[in-house]
Amino acid sequence: MSIRLLALIPVATAISLALSAAVDAVALPLFLDTTGTILATALAGPGVGIATGIVTSAVNTLRNPTFWPFVVVQIIVALYAWVAARAGLFRSFRTAIPAGLGLGVIASLTSTPISYFVFGCTTTGGIALATALGKALGLPPLGACFFGSFVSDFGDKAATFALVTSVLHGLPRRTAARFPWALRAMGAA
Amino acid sequence: MTGVRLHPFTLLTIAAVLPALAWILPAPDGAAATLVVALVLTLTPGAKLTPGASPGNASLWSFPGWRPGLVRLRTAVVTAAPFWLFLLLLHDVPTTIAIGLRVTTMVATFVWLVAALDPARLVEAMVAAGWSASVAYLLAATFSAVPVLKARAQRIVEAQRCRGLSPRGGIPARLRALRALALPLVLSALHEVDERALALETRGLVPGIRRTPLAPPPDPAAERAARWALLLVCLVALVRRFIVQPFS
Repeated sequence: MSIRLLALIPVATAISLALSAAVDAVALPLFLDTTGTILATALAGPGVGIATGIVTSAVNTLRNPTFWPFVVVQIIVALYAWVAARAGLFRSFRTAIPAGLGLGVIASLTSTPISYFVFGCTTTGGIALATALGKALGLPPLGACFFGSFVSDFGDKAATFALVTSVLHGLPRRTAARFPWALRAMGAA
Repeated sequence: MTGVRLHPFTLLTIAAVLPALAWILPAPDGAAATLVVALVLTLTPGAKLTPGASPGNASLWSFPGWRPGLVRLRTAVVTAAPFWLFLLLLHDVPTTIAIGLRVTTMVATFVWLVAALDPARLVEAMVAAGWSASVAYLLAATFSAVPVLKARAQRIVEAQRCRGLSPRGGIPARLRALRALALPLVLSALHEVDERALALETRGLVPGIRRTPLAPPPDPAAERAARWALLLVCLVALVRRFIVQPFS
Protein backbone atom coordinates (compact mmCIF):
# COMPACT_ATOMS: atom_id res chain seq x y z
CA MET A 1 0.00 0.00 0.00
CA SER A 2 1.40 3.40 -0.94
CA ILE A 3 1.94 6.14 1.62
CA ARG A 4 -0.87 8.23 0.11
CA LEU A 5 -3.39 5.42 0.49
CA LEU A 6 -2.16 4.77 4.03
CA ALA A 7 -2.70 8.46 4.84
CA LEU A 8 -6.20 8.28 3.34
CA ILE A 9 -7.46 5.69 5.87
CA PRO A 10 -7.42 7.85 9.05
CA VAL A 11 -8.77 10.82 7.10
CA ALA A 12 -11.67 8.75 5.72
CA THR A 13 -12.36 7.32 9.17
CA ALA A 14 -12.42 10.80 10.70
CA ILE A 15 -14.81 11.95 7.94
CA SER A 16 -17.29 9.21 8.93
CA LEU A 17 -17.17 10.26 12.56
CA ALA A 18 -17.15 14.03 12.00
CA LEU A 19 -20.16 14.06 9.65
CA SER A 20 -22.43 13.52 12.65
CA ALA A 21 -22.08 17.27 13.36
CA ALA A 22 -23.50 18.12 9.91
CA VAL A 23 -26.31 15.58 10.32
CA ASP A 24 -27.20 16.98 13.73
CA ALA A 25 -27.35 20.49 12.28
CA VAL A 26 -30.04 19.56 9.74
CA ALA A 27 -31.88 17.14 12.06
CA LEU A 28 -32.23 14.31 9.58
CA PRO A 29 -32.57 10.67 10.71
CA LEU A 30 -29.29 9.64 9.07
CA PHE A 31 -26.04 8.13 10.35
CA LEU A 32 -23.66 8.55 7.37
CA ASP A 33 -21.27 6.38 9.38
CA THR A 34 -20.17 4.44 6.30
CA THR A 35 -19.31 7.54 4.24
CA GLY A 36 -15.57 7.15 4.85
CA THR A 37 -15.64 3.44 4.00
CA ILE A 38 -17.51 4.00 0.72
CA LEU A 39 -15.43 7.04 -0.21
CA ALA A 40 -12.12 5.28 0.54
CA THR A 41 -13.23 2.30 -1.55
CA ALA A 42 -14.34 4.47 -4.46
CA LEU A 43 -11.02 6.33 -4.36
CA ALA A 44 -8.58 3.57 -3.59
CA GLY A 45 -10.15 0.11 -3.86
CA PRO A 46 -11.40 -2.58 -1.49
CA GLY A 47 -8.26 -3.01 0.65
CA VAL A 48 -8.26 0.62 1.75
CA GLY A 49 -12.06 0.56 2.11
CA ILE A 50 -12.04 -2.51 4.34
CA ALA A 51 -9.21 -1.08 6.46
CA THR A 52 -11.19 2.16 6.80
CA GLY A 53 -14.30 0.21 7.84
CA ILE A 54 -12.41 -1.76 10.46
CA VAL A 55 -10.69 1.32 11.91
CA THR A 56 -14.05 3.18 11.92
CA SER A 57 -15.67 0.35 13.87
CA ALA A 58 -12.73 0.19 16.30
CA VAL A 59 -12.85 3.93 17.02
CA ASN A 60 -16.66 3.93 17.21
CA THR A 61 -16.46 1.03 19.66
CA LEU A 62 -14.57 3.19 22.13
CA ARG A 63 -17.54 5.60 22.02
CA ASN A 64 -20.26 2.96 22.01
CA PRO A 65 -19.13 -0.67 22.44
CA THR A 66 -22.18 -2.06 20.66
CA PHE A 67 -20.59 -0.99 17.34
CA TRP A 68 -17.88 -3.67 17.32
CA PRO A 69 -19.97 -6.71 16.29
CA PHE A 70 -21.17 -4.68 13.28
CA VAL A 71 -17.65 -4.48 11.84
CA VAL A 72 -18.84 -7.20 9.45
CA VAL A 73 -21.33 -4.70 7.98
CA GLN A 74 -18.52 -2.23 7.28
CA ILE A 75 -16.62 -4.94 5.39
CA ILE A 76 -19.70 -5.84 3.34
CA VAL A 77 -20.25 -2.12 2.61
CA ALA A 78 -16.65 -1.80 1.37
CA LEU A 79 -17.01 -4.84 -0.92
CA TYR A 80 -20.33 -3.59 -2.29
CA ALA A 81 -18.87 -0.10 -2.87
CA TRP A 82 -15.98 -1.71 -4.75
CA VAL A 83 -18.41 -3.49 -7.08
CA ALA A 84 -20.29 -0.20 -7.55
CA ALA A 85 -17.04 1.66 -8.26
CA ARG A 86 -15.93 -0.99 -10.81
CA ALA A 87 -19.28 -0.56 -12.55
CA GLY A 88 -18.90 3.24 -12.53
CA LEU A 89 -22.11 3.69 -10.55
CA PHE A 90 -20.83 6.89 -8.94
CA ARG A 91 -21.11 8.65 -12.32
CA SER A 92 -24.39 10.39 -11.42
CA PHE A 93 -27.18 10.50 -8.82
CA ARG A 94 -29.37 8.47 -11.18
CA THR A 95 -27.03 5.49 -10.85
CA ALA A 96 -25.67 6.12 -7.36
CA ILE A 97 -28.97 6.44 -5.45
CA PRO A 98 -30.44 3.10 -6.65
CA ALA A 99 -27.07 1.49 -5.87
CA GLY A 100 -27.27 3.01 -2.37
CA LEU A 101 -30.79 1.65 -1.92
CA GLY A 102 -29.47 -1.80 -2.86
CA LEU A 103 -26.75 -1.44 -0.26
CA GLY A 104 -29.43 -0.49 2.28
CA VAL A 105 -31.14 -3.85 1.76
CA ILE A 106 -27.86 -5.79 1.95
CA ALA A 107 -26.70 -3.88 5.04
CA SER A 108 -30.05 -4.58 6.75
CA LEU A 109 -29.83 -8.29 5.91
CA THR A 110 -26.28 -8.38 7.32
CA SER A 111 -26.93 -6.40 10.48
CA THR A 112 -30.24 -8.08 11.41
CA PRO A 113 -28.81 -11.42 12.68
CA ILE A 114 -26.09 -9.60 14.63
CA SER A 115 -28.57 -7.20 16.16
CA TYR A 116 -31.06 -9.99 16.93
CA PHE A 117 -28.78 -12.61 18.42
CA VAL A 118 -26.29 -10.35 20.22
CA PHE A 119 -28.36 -7.38 21.38
CA GLY A 120 -31.97 -8.50 21.15
CA CYS A 121 -32.51 -5.72 18.54
CA THR A 122 -31.74 -2.87 20.94
CA THR A 123 -28.63 -1.31 19.43
CA THR A 124 -29.71 2.33 19.17
CA GLY A 125 -32.82 4.26 20.09
CA GLY A 126 -34.14 4.86 16.57
CA ILE A 127 -33.67 1.28 15.41
CA ALA A 128 -35.18 -0.10 18.61
CA LEU A 129 -38.26 2.12 18.19
CA ALA A 130 -38.64 1.02 14.56
CA THR A 131 -38.33 -2.59 15.73
CA ALA A 132 -41.04 -1.96 18.32
CA LEU A 133 -43.21 -0.54 15.52
CA GLY A 134 -42.60 -3.69 13.46
CA LYS A 135 -43.56 -5.79 16.45
CA ALA A 136 -46.73 -3.73 16.94
CA LEU A 137 -47.54 -4.36 13.26
CA GLY A 138 -47.56 -8.09 14.02
CA LEU A 139 -44.21 -9.05 12.53
CA PRO A 140 -42.34 -12.02 14.10
CA PRO A 141 -39.31 -11.06 16.26
CA LEU A 142 -36.70 -11.56 13.52
CA GLY A 143 -38.96 -9.82 10.98
CA ALA A 144 -39.46 -6.87 13.33
CA CYS A 145 -35.70 -6.70 13.82
CA PHE A 146 -35.14 -6.63 10.04
CA PHE A 147 -37.84 -3.96 9.72
CA GLY A 148 -35.98 -1.79 12.27
CA SER A 149 -32.64 -2.21 10.48
CA PHE A 150 -34.22 -1.66 7.06
CA VAL A 151 -35.95 1.58 8.08
CA SER A 152 -32.66 3.02 9.34
CA ASP A 153 -30.34 1.68 6.61
CA PHE A 154 -32.39 2.08 3.43
CA GLY A 155 -32.42 5.89 3.19
CA ASP A 156 -29.10 6.28 4.99
CA LYS A 157 -27.11 4.28 2.45
CA ALA A 158 -28.80 6.03 -0.49
CA ALA A 159 -27.91 9.42 1.02
CA THR A 160 -24.36 8.22 1.65
CA PHE A 161 -23.93 7.07 -1.97
CA ALA A 162 -25.31 10.43 -3.18
CA LEU A 163 -22.90 12.31 -0.90
CA VAL A 164 -19.90 10.27 -2.08
CA THR A 165 -20.94 10.93 -5.69
CA SER A 166 -21.04 14.67 -4.94
CA VAL A 167 -17.59 14.49 -3.36
CA LEU A 168 -16.05 12.57 -6.27
CA HIS A 169 -17.44 15.04 -8.80
CA GLY A 170 -16.41 17.97 -6.57
CA LEU A 171 -12.77 16.86 -6.53
CA PRO A 172 -10.50 18.61 -9.02
CA ARG A 173 -9.67 16.15 -11.82
CA ARG A 174 -5.95 16.24 -11.00
CA THR A 175 -6.62 15.36 -7.36
CA ALA A 176 -9.01 12.57 -8.31
CA ALA A 177 -6.47 11.14 -10.76
CA ARG A 178 -4.00 10.63 -7.90
CA PHE A 179 -6.25 7.93 -6.45
CA PRO A 180 -6.27 4.66 -8.37
CA TRP A 181 -10.04 4.08 -8.56
CA ALA A 182 -11.59 7.55 -8.51
CA LEU A 183 -11.95 8.15 -12.26
CA ARG A 184 -13.30 4.65 -12.88
CA ALA A 185 -15.83 5.03 -10.06
CA MET A 186 -17.05 8.24 -11.71
CA GLY A 187 -17.31 6.50 -15.06
CA ALA A 188 -14.63 8.82 -16.47
CA ALA A 189 -12.04 6.16 -17.24
CA MET B 1 4.67 6.47 44.07
CA THR B 2 2.19 6.18 41.29
CA GLY B 3 -0.51 3.64 40.86
CA VAL B 4 0.08 0.48 38.90
CA ARG B 5 -0.38 1.00 35.15
CA LEU B 6 -1.24 -2.13 33.30
CA HIS B 7 0.31 -2.80 29.90
CA PRO B 8 -2.01 -1.70 27.06
CA PHE B 9 -2.25 -5.29 25.78
CA THR B 10 -3.41 -6.38 29.24
CA LEU B 11 -6.10 -3.70 29.23
CA LEU B 12 -7.27 -4.81 25.78
CA THR B 13 -7.27 -8.47 26.84
CA ILE B 14 -9.44 -7.71 29.86
CA ALA B 15 -11.76 -5.59 27.69
CA ALA B 16 -12.10 -8.47 25.23
CA VAL B 17 -12.44 -11.30 27.74
CA LEU B 18 -15.01 -9.76 30.11
CA PRO B 19 -17.76 -9.13 27.50
CA ALA B 20 -16.95 -12.48 25.87
CA LEU B 21 -17.46 -14.24 29.21
CA ALA B 22 -20.69 -12.29 29.74
CA TRP B 23 -22.05 -13.84 26.55
CA ILE B 24 -20.52 -17.29 27.05
CA LEU B 25 -21.45 -17.93 30.69
CA PRO B 26 -25.08 -18.88 31.37
CA ALA B 27 -27.35 -15.95 32.24
CA PRO B 28 -28.26 -14.49 34.61
CA ASP B 29 -25.60 -15.71 37.10
CA GLY B 30 -22.60 -15.65 34.77
CA ALA B 31 -23.51 -12.31 33.22
CA ALA B 32 -24.21 -10.83 36.68
CA ALA B 33 -20.75 -11.93 37.87
CA THR B 34 -19.01 -10.34 34.88
CA LEU B 35 -21.06 -7.19 35.36
CA VAL B 36 -19.92 -6.86 38.98
CA VAL B 37 -16.29 -7.16 37.85
CA ALA B 38 -16.85 -4.59 35.08
CA LEU B 39 -18.54 -2.10 37.40
CA VAL B 40 -15.72 -2.44 39.95
CA LEU B 41 -13.23 -1.85 37.13
CA THR B 42 -14.89 1.46 36.23
CA LEU B 43 -13.99 2.68 39.72
CA THR B 44 -10.33 1.66 39.57
CA PRO B 45 -8.19 3.61 37.05
CA GLY B 46 -7.68 6.55 39.43
CA ALA B 47 -6.83 4.45 42.49
CA LYS B 48 -3.25 5.09 43.60
CA LEU B 49 -1.04 4.37 46.59
CA THR B 50 -0.74 7.46 48.78
CA PRO B 51 2.81 8.90 48.79
CA GLY B 52 4.41 8.64 52.23
CA ALA B 53 1.78 6.41 53.78
CA SER B 54 3.25 3.90 56.19
CA PRO B 55 2.84 0.18 55.62
CA GLY B 56 0.10 -1.35 57.66
CA ASN B 57 -1.66 1.95 57.98
CA ALA B 58 -5.31 1.73 57.06
CA SER B 59 -4.93 4.94 55.08
CA LEU B 60 -2.26 3.38 52.86
CA TRP B 61 -4.86 3.01 50.15
CA SER B 62 -6.48 6.30 49.52
CA PHE B 63 -8.55 6.83 46.46
CA PRO B 64 -8.01 10.28 44.97
CA GLY B 65 -9.55 8.73 41.88
CA TRP B 66 -12.87 7.91 43.50
CA ARG B 67 -14.61 10.93 42.02
CA PRO B 68 -13.56 10.22 38.41
CA GLY B 69 -14.33 6.58 39.13
CA LEU B 70 -17.87 7.47 40.16
CA VAL B 71 -18.20 9.60 37.03
CA ARG B 72 -17.16 6.60 34.93
CA LEU B 73 -19.58 4.37 36.79
CA ARG B 74 -22.36 6.88 36.14
CA THR B 75 -21.35 7.10 32.47
CA ALA B 76 -21.60 3.32 32.17
CA VAL B 77 -25.00 3.22 33.88
CA VAL B 78 -26.38 6.13 31.84
CA THR B 79 -25.11 4.59 28.58
CA ALA B 80 -26.60 1.20 29.38
CA ALA B 81 -29.95 2.48 30.69
CA PRO B 82 -31.64 2.98 27.27
CA PHE B 83 -30.81 -0.62 26.33
CA TRP B 84 -32.74 -1.86 29.38
CA LEU B 85 -35.68 0.34 28.43
CA PHE B 86 -35.77 -0.93 24.84
CA LEU B 87 -35.21 -4.53 25.96
CA LEU B 88 -38.23 -4.25 28.26
CA LEU B 89 -40.19 -2.82 25.35
CA LEU B 90 -39.29 -5.73 23.06
CA HIS B 91 -38.78 -8.77 25.31
CA ASP B 92 -40.03 -10.57 28.41
CA VAL B 93 -38.37 -9.97 31.79
CA PRO B 94 -35.97 -13.00 31.86
CA THR B 95 -34.68 -12.16 28.36
CA THR B 96 -34.37 -8.49 29.31
CA ILE B 97 -32.28 -9.40 32.35
CA ALA B 98 -30.07 -11.82 30.41
CA ILE B 99 -29.31 -9.48 27.51
CA GLY B 100 -29.29 -6.36 29.71
CA LEU B 101 -26.61 -7.79 32.02
CA ARG B 102 -24.47 -8.72 29.02
CA VAL B 103 -24.81 -5.36 27.28
CA THR B 104 -24.14 -3.50 30.53
CA THR B 105 -20.99 -5.57 31.09
CA MET B 106 -19.84 -4.64 27.61
CA VAL B 107 -20.61 -0.94 28.10
CA ALA B 108 -18.97 -0.73 31.55
CA THR B 109 -15.86 -2.57 30.35
CA PHE B 110 -15.38 -0.18 27.45
CA VAL B 111 -16.03 2.89 29.60
CA TRP B 112 -13.22 1.62 31.82
CA LEU B 113 -11.00 0.85 28.83
CA VAL B 114 -11.39 4.34 27.37
CA ALA B 115 -10.40 5.85 30.73
CA ALA B 116 -7.47 3.50 31.31
CA LEU B 117 -5.99 3.16 27.83
CA ASP B 118 -3.60 5.86 26.66
CA PRO B 119 -3.49 5.70 22.82
CA ALA B 120 0.14 6.89 22.78
CA ARG B 121 1.15 4.02 25.10
CA LEU B 122 -0.76 1.58 22.93
CA VAL B 123 1.12 2.72 19.84
CA GLU B 124 4.45 2.41 21.68
CA ALA B 125 3.48 -1.07 22.87
CA MET B 126 2.51 -2.13 19.35
CA VAL B 127 5.79 -0.86 17.91
CA ALA B 128 7.75 -2.58 20.69
CA ALA B 129 5.89 -5.84 19.99
CA GLY B 130 7.01 -5.71 16.37
CA TRP B 131 3.78 -4.56 14.76
CA SER B 132 4.16 -2.68 11.52
CA ALA B 133 4.62 1.06 11.93
CA SER B 134 1.75 1.49 9.46
CA VAL B 135 -0.74 -0.16 11.82
CA ALA B 136 0.48 1.94 14.72
CA TYR B 137 0.18 5.04 12.52
CA LEU B 138 -3.41 4.19 11.56
CA LEU B 139 -4.50 4.15 15.20
CA ALA B 140 -2.54 7.21 16.28
CA ALA B 141 -3.50 9.29 13.22
CA THR B 142 -7.18 8.41 13.53
CA PHE B 143 -7.31 9.34 17.20
CA SER B 144 -5.73 12.71 16.41
CA ALA B 145 -7.73 13.37 13.20
CA VAL B 146 -11.21 12.78 14.64
CA PRO B 147 -11.32 15.76 17.05
CA VAL B 148 -9.71 18.03 14.42
CA LEU B 149 -12.34 17.20 11.80
CA LYS B 150 -15.18 17.37 14.32
CA ALA B 151 -14.09 20.89 15.27
CA ARG B 152 -13.85 21.82 11.59
CA ALA B 153 -17.33 20.40 10.94
CA GLN B 154 -18.68 22.60 13.71
CA ARG B 155 -16.95 25.67 12.23
CA ILE B 156 -18.41 24.89 8.79
CA VAL B 157 -21.89 24.56 10.30
CA GLU B 158 -21.52 27.98 11.96
CA ALA B 159 -20.03 29.59 8.84
CA GLN B 160 -22.79 28.31 6.58
CA ARG B 161 -25.44 29.50 9.04
CA CYS B 162 -23.82 32.96 8.96
CA ARG B 163 -24.17 32.86 5.16
CA GLY B 164 -27.87 32.21 5.51
CA LEU B 165 -28.05 28.43 5.20
CA SER B 166 -31.28 27.27 6.78
CA PRO B 167 -31.45 23.73 8.14
CA ARG B 168 -35.26 23.88 8.23
CA GLY B 169 -37.98 22.92 5.82
CA GLY B 170 -38.86 19.65 4.13
CA ILE B 171 -36.57 16.69 3.57
CA PRO B 172 -35.29 17.92 0.14
CA ALA B 173 -34.32 21.29 1.66
CA ARG B 174 -32.58 19.58 4.56
CA LEU B 175 -30.71 17.25 2.20
CA ARG B 176 -29.51 20.27 0.20
CA ALA B 177 -28.39 21.89 3.47
CA LEU B 178 -26.60 18.67 4.45
CA ARG B 179 -24.73 18.69 1.12
CA ALA B 180 -23.66 22.29 1.70
CA LEU B 181 -22.31 21.31 5.12
CA ALA B 182 -20.74 17.95 4.30
CA LEU B 183 -19.07 18.73 0.99
CA PRO B 184 -16.62 21.40 2.26
CA LEU B 185 -15.70 19.16 5.18
CA VAL B 186 -14.99 16.07 3.07
CA LEU B 187 -13.20 17.92 0.27
CA SER B 188 -10.98 19.86 2.67
CA ALA B 189 -10.12 16.63 4.48
CA LEU B 190 -9.20 14.89 1.21
CA HIS B 191 -6.92 17.76 0.24
CA GLU B 192 -4.96 17.05 3.44
CA VAL B 193 -4.10 13.53 2.35
CA ASP B 194 -1.19 14.69 0.21
CA GLU B 195 0.23 16.80 3.05
CA ARG B 196 0.02 13.85 5.42
CA ALA B 197 1.64 11.52 2.89
CA LEU B 198 4.49 13.98 2.39
CA ALA B 199 4.98 14.30 6.15
CA LEU B 200 5.11 10.52 6.52
CA GLU B 201 7.63 10.14 3.70
CA THR B 202 9.77 12.89 5.19
CA ARG B 203 9.82 10.98 8.49
CA GLY B 204 10.82 7.76 6.79
CA LEU B 205 7.63 5.83 7.41
CA VAL B 206 7.70 3.19 4.72
CA PRO B 207 5.09 0.39 4.89
CA GLY B 208 6.59 -2.79 6.34
CA ILE B 209 9.52 -1.11 8.07
CA ARG B 210 10.15 -1.72 11.82
CA ARG B 211 10.63 1.31 14.04
CA THR B 212 12.43 1.58 17.38
CA PRO B 213 10.00 2.54 20.18
CA LEU B 214 10.95 5.64 22.14
CA ALA B 215 9.50 4.65 25.52
CA PRO B 216 7.96 1.17 25.40
CA PRO B 217 5.65 0.47 28.35
CA PRO B 218 7.01 -2.23 30.68
CA ASP B 219 5.50 -5.65 30.10
CA PRO B 220 6.33 -7.88 33.11
CA ALA B 221 6.26 -11.66 32.69
CA ALA B 222 3.44 -11.88 35.24
CA GLU B 223 1.23 -9.68 33.08
CA ARG B 224 2.01 -11.67 29.97
CA ALA B 225 1.13 -14.87 31.84
CA ALA B 226 -2.08 -13.27 33.15
CA ARG B 227 -3.12 -12.36 29.60
CA TRP B 228 -2.68 -15.92 28.40
CA ALA B 229 -4.51 -17.20 31.50
CA LEU B 230 -7.46 -14.91 30.76
CA LEU B 231 -7.64 -16.11 27.17
CA LEU B 232 -7.42 -19.71 28.39
CA VAL B 233 -10.29 -19.13 30.85
CA CYS B 234 -12.35 -17.74 27.99
CA LEU B 235 -11.57 -20.73 25.79
CA VAL B 236 -12.38 -23.23 28.57
CA ALA B 237 -15.68 -21.44 29.26
CA LEU B 238 -16.50 -21.53 25.56
CA VAL B 239 -15.77 -25.27 25.25
CA ARG B 240 -17.68 -26.04 28.46
CA ARG B 241 -20.70 -23.96 27.40
CA PHE B 242 -21.10 -25.06 23.82
CA ILE B 243 -19.46 -28.49 23.59
CA VAL B 244 -19.49 -30.18 27.00
CA GLN B 245 -22.84 -28.82 28.31
CA PRO B 246 -24.55 -27.35 25.23
CA PHE B 247 -28.07 -27.53 26.61
CA SER B 248 -27.57 -26.66 30.28
